[in-house]
Parts: sequence; structure tokens; C-alpha cells
Amino acid sequence: MRKGIKFSLIIVGACAMFACKPKVEDMESSAGDINTSKFVVIGGSDMAGMMDDGLYYDGQINSVAAILSTQFELVGASPIQQAMMPSSSVGYTIFGNAPLELGYKTDCLNVTGLSPVRSAQTGDGASFSMNTYSASAPITNFGIPLLSVAQLTTIGLGNPANGPGNYNPFFARMASNQATASVKSDILATQPTCFALSLGMDEVMLYAAGGAKNGGLISTAAFDLGLNDLVGSLTNLGAKGAIATIPDVTEFPYFTTIPYNGLNLDEENAATLNSIYNPIGIYFHVGANAFMIEDPTAGSFGVRQMVPGEKILLSVPLDSVKCNKMGSVFPFRDEFVLELSEITEIQNQIAGYNDVIRATAVNNSLALVDAHTFYQTLNEGIVYNGVSMNATFVSGGAYSLDGRTLNPRGNALLANQFIAAFNAKYNATIWQANATKYRGIKFP
Amino acid sequence: MYKLTIIAFIATAFSANAQGYQVNLQGQKQQGMGGAGAALPLDAAAVFFNPASISFLKNSSINLGFTPTFANTLYTDKASNETGRTNSPMGTPFSAYGVYRKSEESMFYFGLGVYTPFGSTVQYEDEWIGRFALTRLQLKNIFIQPTMSFKMSDKVSIGAGFVYSTGSVNLQKDIPVQFSDGTYGSAELSGKAQGFGYNVGFYMNATEKISVGITYRSQVNMAVKDGKAEFTVPQSLASNFPNGSFTSSLPLPQVLTIAGGYKVNNQLALALDVNYVSWSAYDTLSFDYEQNTASLVDTRSAREYKNTFSFRLGGEYKITEQLQARLGFAYCLTPVQDGYVTPETPDANRINYTLGLGYLFGEHFGVDASLLFTHLERTDRNLETNLEGTYKTNVLAPGISVYYQF
Repeated sequence: MRKGIKFSLIIVGACAMFACKPKVEDMESSAGDINTSKFVVIGGSDMAGMMDDGLYYDGQINSVAAILSTQFELVGASPIQQAMMPSSSVGYTIFGNAPLELGYKTDCLNVTGLSPVRSAQTGDGASFSMNTYSASAPITNFGIPLLSVAQLTTIGLGNPANGPGNYNPFFARMASNQATASVKSDILATQPTCFALSLGMDEVMLYAAGGAKNGGLISTAAFDLGLNDLVGSLTNLGAKGAIATIPDVTEFPYFTTIPYNGLNLDEENAATLNSIYNPIGIYFHVGANAFMIEDPTAGSFGVRQMVPGEKILLSVPLDSVKCNKMGSVFPFRDEFVLELSEITEIQNQIAGYNDVIRATAVNNSLALVDAHTFYQTLNEGIVYNGVSMNATFVSGGAYSLDGRTLNPRGNALLANQFIAAFNAKYNATIWQANATKYRGIKFP
Repeated sequence: MYKLTIIAFIATAFSANAQGYQVNLQGQKQQGMGGAGAALPLDAAAVFFNPASISFLKNSSINLGFTPTFANTLYTDKASNETGRTNSPMGTPFSAYGVYRKSEESMFYFGLGVYTPFGSTVQYEDEWIGRFALTRLQLKNIFIQPTMSFKMSDKVSIGAGFVYSTGSVNLQKDIPVQFSDGTYGSAELSGKAQGFGYNVGFYMNATEKISVGITYRSQVNMAVKDGKAEFTVPQSLASNFPNGSFTSSLPLPQVLTIAGGYKVNNQLALALDVNYVSWSAYDTLSFDYEQNTASLVDTRSAREYKNTFSFRLGGEYKITEQLQARLGFAYCLTPVQDGYVTPETPDANRINYTLGLGYLFGEHFGVDASLLFTHLERTDRNLETNLEGTYKTNVLAPGISVYYQF
């Protein structure tokens, strides 16, 4: 009896301390049919870890490529090699600035509020212009911002000697030889066994973020040619991979934050505008009004009010809107606006590219990542493990401060889309990233 | 801005027992028998189990019990395979009962029960993947139940008790806004709650061997009237998350119990209880904040609990006049439907295994001990938070009580 009591006390005591903890079952992860020995990533800003309008260390270590690699390392891949900026560097935007951070800004009305501000006076151009290629650890993240599919085979694409505008400064940072290498030749030199590819978004974004004013989008045929040339070469090596569709970039916060009818007028301002515009048949009232834009096709004066569905870009100088009558007395210039016809043009071209991407996935037996649907769902609002996210600027929680690229948490969600596609296509069990461990936006 | 969806603060006692409130850590003898006993007047804990049956106790008595409860939950996230454990402190349910009768011929019996139908803390490890649903929930709850029973004949009695409930809640979770060093903000909701209810019972010795008990415990609405909401967020967001007060409430559901007792012989008695718990009262958990902002809106979270049954079977065997051994088990159906499993209630259908021992030293003084073990496992995707994974919980609850009868 006494022995029994003693025995149960020991059991109870031991159990209370540790034995009663449920055991972790070892769930095997596996690469399935994928050979992960040389995992290579190809893409644009998303893969490069561009965020907050710039390239900097903290963004790069949280790139979609880096997050994917972390999960692939669990099934045998080597750590990814990226063209890193130094961890001490403030980073760099292509216009010479430092990237954005959230800070306080006082506007022209002397109102101080939270706003994206430059994290330093100027960007770190010296670090940015450094080539980081090392033969002993060749680059495996070919996330190259601004890259067009039409440029994949361009020799010397990373050659600064070609002069500004004639080379890609991001490829210059990683090219094995700035004068002789093409993106494709450097990719193939790594002899990939598997790859994640996301091309097309950057060139569409470049065009859209400029108000669809400069340049144009390459034809679907050219996109097809460039993409299939690269993908064909990769699959000829026996590489397996996943390829992502292109999202509708016009639904990103960069285009959706300022409403077309955000012109709020009091009686006096409405009267002023009416005195200017009534003669050409445009009327204003107290309250919300559509902004004025330049449109050469609109009447004899080439100006009109915006219509629902049209977008004002985040590049618009807000102080000028607030204090200097931009968007009202002085209509927005074309570069700050996407008109309906431009939006249609961009969306149609994305649809055409995506048809090519889907066909390429089928023809080459690749996993298809439906990034188009992913972004659409995200923009409408998702809940991930208790975290609500959507396309609202800053507070939406998934996009970075430039409104065009995702923040680390958003990148983790996108990386998980790739992993899900790999798993489904190649009988693999690669664990997804825990996106709550990747940061959103930091608040002061 | 950030919509703060505060998640339920119900029932961590779950981790210790069947569906929360109808906990059966209210009496060591009954605990040893799977939590059955509404038709067996075993001891003063009958104040809780069936107020009518105290009329058939042979003595006046005082009974003090304590059941340290060890619950460990392991959560495994489906997509990432990451795990999060609880490191909750020991639960400390206690009970104290007194029953008084003037003489053997008395028609009226008086009882008082003070017990803790809730009362534990669930705490998840730092930075676990569900941190935005819950990091810590502490629930304290004490029921005070003065009781009277009327012996209508030597076969039948009725009884009733008034329940005053007082308690407190402290809920903590992280908020997905980050300081400049990357740490997340957090929310802490705390408050005191009160409620009232009653407990009525019917008891009958149907034959020499068979007894019947029917009890009804009313719903008790625990209302938090002036809770305190505190937010730790970056300075720039302080005005979005104003500290202030909130109101909320939590229904502790009504329970109908139909029970039978069977005296096989002088040594062996068996008990079977069936509980019907009206959990559907818990359809929504709401938090109304005194001060709302774009980030801090009042929340209404669907809980959609459903009414459930528990089946409890136990036996007591008198080895000697002094020494009794008990054994029991309970099958408890979960009120939590698929899509509504939360970190504070990783509930599942379960079987409780219990055993117990009792020893009477001489005439007046006795000791009872019990041991409860159960394992729960539930895989779900919560519709509100999209937490998707598997919760596994082990519960061990060894208890002891002492009594003095006179």
C-alpha cells in the first residue's frame, strides 16, 4: 500500500515535470521528385528583396528568394548566394536616394503626421555600384529589378560602360563579367537542378508606375520568345521548377491609395474652380470631387475630370496637391495618372503574358504559381494566423512603404505560394515559412 | 488600421476537464469515479453534485479538497510544421463544503459549497505562431453556493442552492504592429466578472439497491462591466489603441444531469451520470470598447458552440470498512465545432480515466485522493484566424481532500 502510494507519487511528480508533454511527431519533409542540390531563383524586385523603394541588406535577407531558400535548405539545398549590400549600408534607390522608412513629416499645412521618409540624406551609391560576384560562391539569386524578359540574352546587360539607361545596374552588381555575361549565360553557368522563376512583373510595373507614359510593354510574342528560350534551356539541363504568373499591378497600393475623387472642396474653393472650369462645362460642388487631369484627347483644352476606376499614383507630390492646387487648378500630368485606357492596356498585356506563362508551365511540366490570384486575394484582404492583411497603404501590413513591393511578411506569403506549387507538382513536402516571423512595417 | 480581433477568453479549465464549467474536480470521491455521483450521496461534495442528496448523508461534515492540475498542449502548424507549446502554471482548483443536519430525524439539511468550476492559466511559449490569437489567458472563478435540502420521505428528497459567482479574467495576445526594433505590440484585457445562478436537485432511493438523481444547474452569465484594456504599441500608434475600459460577458452554460446509482452489494457501488450541457448559449464572444478608433473596433467573434453530452461511469469498492478504491471514466463530447477551435480551447471529444482511494481514520477523520488523466487531440482550421494545425493536450490532475464528519 505504502509502496503503491510512493510509486504513484513518483509517477505523478515525473509526469508533472516532463513526461506529460505531448510528443512532437517527426513529420518527414522531403524534396519529392526535385533535386535540390543547385537551387536557383530568377525574377525581379520580389526575388531581389527590393522594398521601401530601394535595395538594402534587411530587404535582401527577406527577399522571396532568401525565404524560399531557407525552406529549401530543410530539404538539402545550399544557402542562396545573393548580391548583398553591406549590412551597415543605408541602401540605395536607382535615383540615388536612401530607401524609405516610417517617420514623421510636416506637410505644407504644417500638419505633422506619420509618413514614409528617407532613412538617410542620400543613398549609398558606392556600395550599390560594387560588383559582388565571387567565383567560389557564384550568385544563385538572379532576382534583378527592372529586368525585362526581352533582355535575358543581352550580352553586357550589366555593363556600366554602356552608359546610364543602357545597362541594368542591378545585374551589374552580380554579373560574372559585366562586359560579356548575359543574365541567361550566368544562370546556366550555375547548372541549376531546380529553379523558381517570376518574370514580367517588373517590366509591367516600370511602365505602370511611370503613368504608362514612357516606353511600352513588349509584345506577347517577344515575351513568349524570351521566356521559353530561358525555360527551355533550364529544362534541357533536367532542372525542375516553378513559374509564377504576373499580378494586376494596378491594384497595388501605389495605385489605389489616393482616390480619384479625393478633391474635397469648401464653398470658396468650389466657387474658384467653377469660375475657371464652368466655361468648358466642368462643374464642382462642396464635398468630394474628381481631380482634374491632363488628357490631350479631352476637348479643346485637353483637360477633364477623372472618372471612377482611374488611378492617381503615389508619386504625385502631395504638398502640391494640398497647397498649390495641383489636381484642381493645375491638372495632374500624365505621369501621375493611369487613365482607363491605360489600365485596360496594362491588364490586357498582363493577361497575354500570363497565358504564355501558363502554357510554358504546361509544356515544360513545371509547377505553376498563381501569383495573380495570390495578390488579388491579398489585396482584398486575408487573415494569416490571426494577422489581417490587405492592400491598404502602410496599415495593410503586407506591402512595403513604396506601395509597389511586398515587405518581408508579404514576401514570406508569396514564397509559401511557390512552396505549395512545388509540393503539389513534385510530390514534395517542403515546409512553408512561418510568416509571423518575418516583419511587417516598423513604426516609430 | 489594424483590426484588433480579440479572441475568446473562455474556459481553460477545459484543459483540465470536460467542457469547462461542469468540471468534475469538485469532489475527490466523485473524481475517482469518472465524475459521476449525482445519484450517490457520497459526501459533502453532494452540495455541488446534487443538492437534494445531502439529505441522505449519514453525518454532518466538512470537506476540503485541492486538485493540482497539469495540462500541456502542443500545437503543430500544418503549413510550416512549427510547434508551439504551452508552459502554463499548475492549475489550482479547490473545493470546500460543509453539510449540517440537526439530527438523524431532521427534515432539513443545510450545506455550503465554495468551489472553482473555472480557474487556470493557459500560457503559450513566446513567439509561437498563434501569438496574434492568444499568448496567455488566466481565468479565476469561485462559486459560492448556500444550499438547503428537504427530505420528503425516507426515499425522496429535493434540494436547491443559490450560486453567487465571482471571478476575474486576464487575456493577453500580441498585435501585429511592430516597434522599430521589430518586436510586436501586445494587448492585455483584464477585468472582474460576477454572475448569479442556482443549482436544484431531486433524489430518490427507488429500491434498496437503486437510486436516482436529477439535477439542474442554471446558466450563469459572467459579466465583465468595467474591464481594463491596455495596449503596448509604438508611440506613433498610441492614439489608435487608446487604453480604456471594455465590457464583455461569458455564459457558463446550464447543465441537466440524470444519474443512477446501483449498490451491487455491501462492497461495491456503481454510478452513472449523463450530463446535457447547453453550450449553445456561447454563440458569440463580444468585446465592446469604451473608446473605438479605426484600429480598435468592437468585436463580435462567432463561437457557435453546440449542446453536448457527457457520460460518466464509476465505481467504488470497499476493501475494508476503512479503505475504499475507486475507478471511473467519462466520455465527453466537445461543444466546439470544426472551424471554431481556438488556442484557449483546444477542445476535442475525450475520454477521462480516473481512479481514487479513500481512507477513514477511525470515526471522524478521512482522506480521499484521486487521479485523472486524459489526452485530447484536435486538428482544425479556425475560420476567424486561419490558424490551421493540430493541438495535442495531456492533462494530469492528482487531487486530495480531507474531511471531518460528526
